[in-house]
Amino acid sequence: MVGEKLDGSALLVDEKLLHFMDQLELLEEKRVALNSLIEQGWLSISKARYSMGNKQVSALQYASEIEPLVCVHARTLDNGEVDFFTKKVEQSCSNETEKDTSSVEDIGPQEEGVRRRIKPKSDKTNKDACEEERSEKTPEVTPVRQKEHSPQQDPLKWFGILVPQSLKQAQSSFKQVIELSAEIATLQTAMLKTRQELVDSMKNKQALQEKIPAAQSDQTVE
Amino acid sequence: MAGRGKLIAVIGDEDTCTGFLLGGIGELNKNRKPNFLVVEKDTSITEIEETFKSFLARNDIGIILINQFIAEMIRHAIDAHMQSIPAVLEIPSKEHPYDASKDSILRRAKGMFSAEDFR
Repeated sequence: MVGEKLDGSALLVDEKLLHFMDQLELLEEKRVALNSLIEQGWLSISKARYSMGNKQVSALQYASEIEPLVCVHARTLDNGEVDFFTKKVEQSCSNETEKDTSSVEDIGPQEEGVRRRIKPKSDKTNKDACEEERSEKTPEVTPVRQKEHSPQQDPLKWFGILVPQSLKQAQSSFKQVIELSAEIATLQTAMLKTRQELVDSMKNKQALQEKIPAAQSDQTVE
Repeated sequence: MAGRGKLIAVIGDEDTCTGFLLGGIGELNKNRKPNFLVVEKDTSITEIEETFKSFLARNDIGIILINQFIAEMIRHAIDAHMQSIPAVLEIPSKEHPYDASKDSILRRAKGMFSAEDFR
């Protein structure tokens, strides 16, 4: 009975180990791809710097308002693994943030209608009539906000309008790196999960192995 | 899951940060706090560590990318982080190629066959 359990446990350990090794191999492959893409990106940045000038491609060129164009979604799966995947931020999201910022930053009068003017006290009747009119008509000037729907700015524009092709290549390399890094993050968490499962099943197997001599000695006594 | 998702943070040298920001991961939030740190020669380890910890504490960050040579400076802080979100990824830098034997995650995986795991 214990022997059968031990066989089952040994098979499980083998299975988990193979799975773990597969994940490790995949991680290695993705790492190599990531490293070469980053290197390509740096090379392109260096080329752009060479053609634009040393200080034209630096941290000083970053915009004062930066909004993300890519976001990562983390989804926890049933087995406890976390799945990361990147997604482009849609325009609606940026509008929301714009709304937020405008609500914070708007200062000063928001009315755009004509304000009341003081009338000369020429004749009372006229004035009364005017007041009546006002009370009836007085329009509550509704504040009209003109929102500036500026599109999300492409980070390439921080470095100029006509940027060299190499900077565009750098951008595309780093975009790929971002996607790949989400995949690697998923793989890393999966690998750590598998590792934990493997350690648990190895402990289980060891506990069963310790039971075997005890069971055998019981049988010899009988 | 709802909403716009999480951000990718970067701690790295100028070119690494520039590259990732070109890729569109940069953000300056309402408090003008960026999700990136450009590490210069004169950036102190304390500053790097504090930034890393602040990124860990932010719940809008999903992945932290860090140059491996910078990760080496704050290795204890990286090793202490055991949660899966945010995930910490070590990446190479221009002067320092990626060394798998230094990677926190791979070292954890390597430790699988050590005697400590069975205690």
